[in-house]
Amino acid sequence: MTPDDEARLIAAARKGDSRAYAALVDAHQQAVRGFLRRFAGHWADADDLAQEAFVTAWAKLSRFEGRSSFRSWVSGIGFRIARDAKRAHGRAQVRDSAWLDEQDNVEEGAPLEDRIAVQRAMAELPDEQRAVVALCLGEGFSHSEAAEILKLPLGTVKSHVTRGRERLLRALETDDGR
Amino acid sequence: MDAEARLAAALGAASAPARDPGFTLAVIRAAEADRFKAEALRSTLTSGAVAAAAACLALMLAGWASLNWSGVQTGILGAGGIFALVATARLMTQRLAPAAVR
Repeated sequence: MTPDDEARLIAAARKGDSRAYAALVDAHQQAVRGFLRRFAGHWADADDLAQEAFVTAWAKLSRFEGRSSFRSWVSGIGFRIARDAKRAHGRAQVRDSAWLDEQDNVEEGAPLEDRIAVQRAMAELPDEQRAVVALCLGEGFSHSEAAEILKLPLGTVKSHVTRGRERLLRALETDDGR
Repeated sequence: MDAEARLAAALGAASAPARDPGFTLAVIRAAEADRFKAEALRSTLTSGAVAAAAACLALMLAGWASLNWSGVQTGILGAGGIFALVATARLMTQRLAPAAVR
């Protein structure tokens, strides 16, 4: 989607056009959900958080000034919701089991041991570092985009990426040693 | 596979699908449900405020009427007189009009 297309869809969504907003959600859900899945570590909750982030974003769309990209702005909303949320897990269990079923059918990709080791190591990272790793290493956001989303200085983001990557690599190596 | 590649693959396993109409639909439905709730709340609050204002006005009027009962009686009689006068005038106009045509 070009920036012009995005601006046109945002303008239409501001006027209440649900089709335009659906197109925006469709274009950016992968990045926002991917980030929150890695940050929250709990799949179904992460998708609920992403949904809440998109709903909140539509309600606050009049406040979007366009200084960052739409996906960065929604990711920032998602990050703040995820950080503050204290949620019950009942609603999430159904989708969790659906995802687990889906994972059983995945033939390609990372070995299960690697995924578990990385997931555990991610869970042990401090919140900000985990968010930076999820954004930059997981979803390919630039360092400056991550700084904008998380309201952190660029230098802090860079050091979080370096340290986070080291810790995750160490977790993989430790897992090999077992 | 080296550790960097393994890390990339392990992180990539948590990615979301590129297209997910179900998710998009869920977002739009949730947003519209939120809007409906907000509209309903606004409408309830508006009706409540109007009802409260009307009740206050009625109470004030009742209080004033109990303190000035003789004035209220005069007012009611005056209004009744005017109503009777207007009704008589209308009745007469209606009866006289066909006679004038003839």
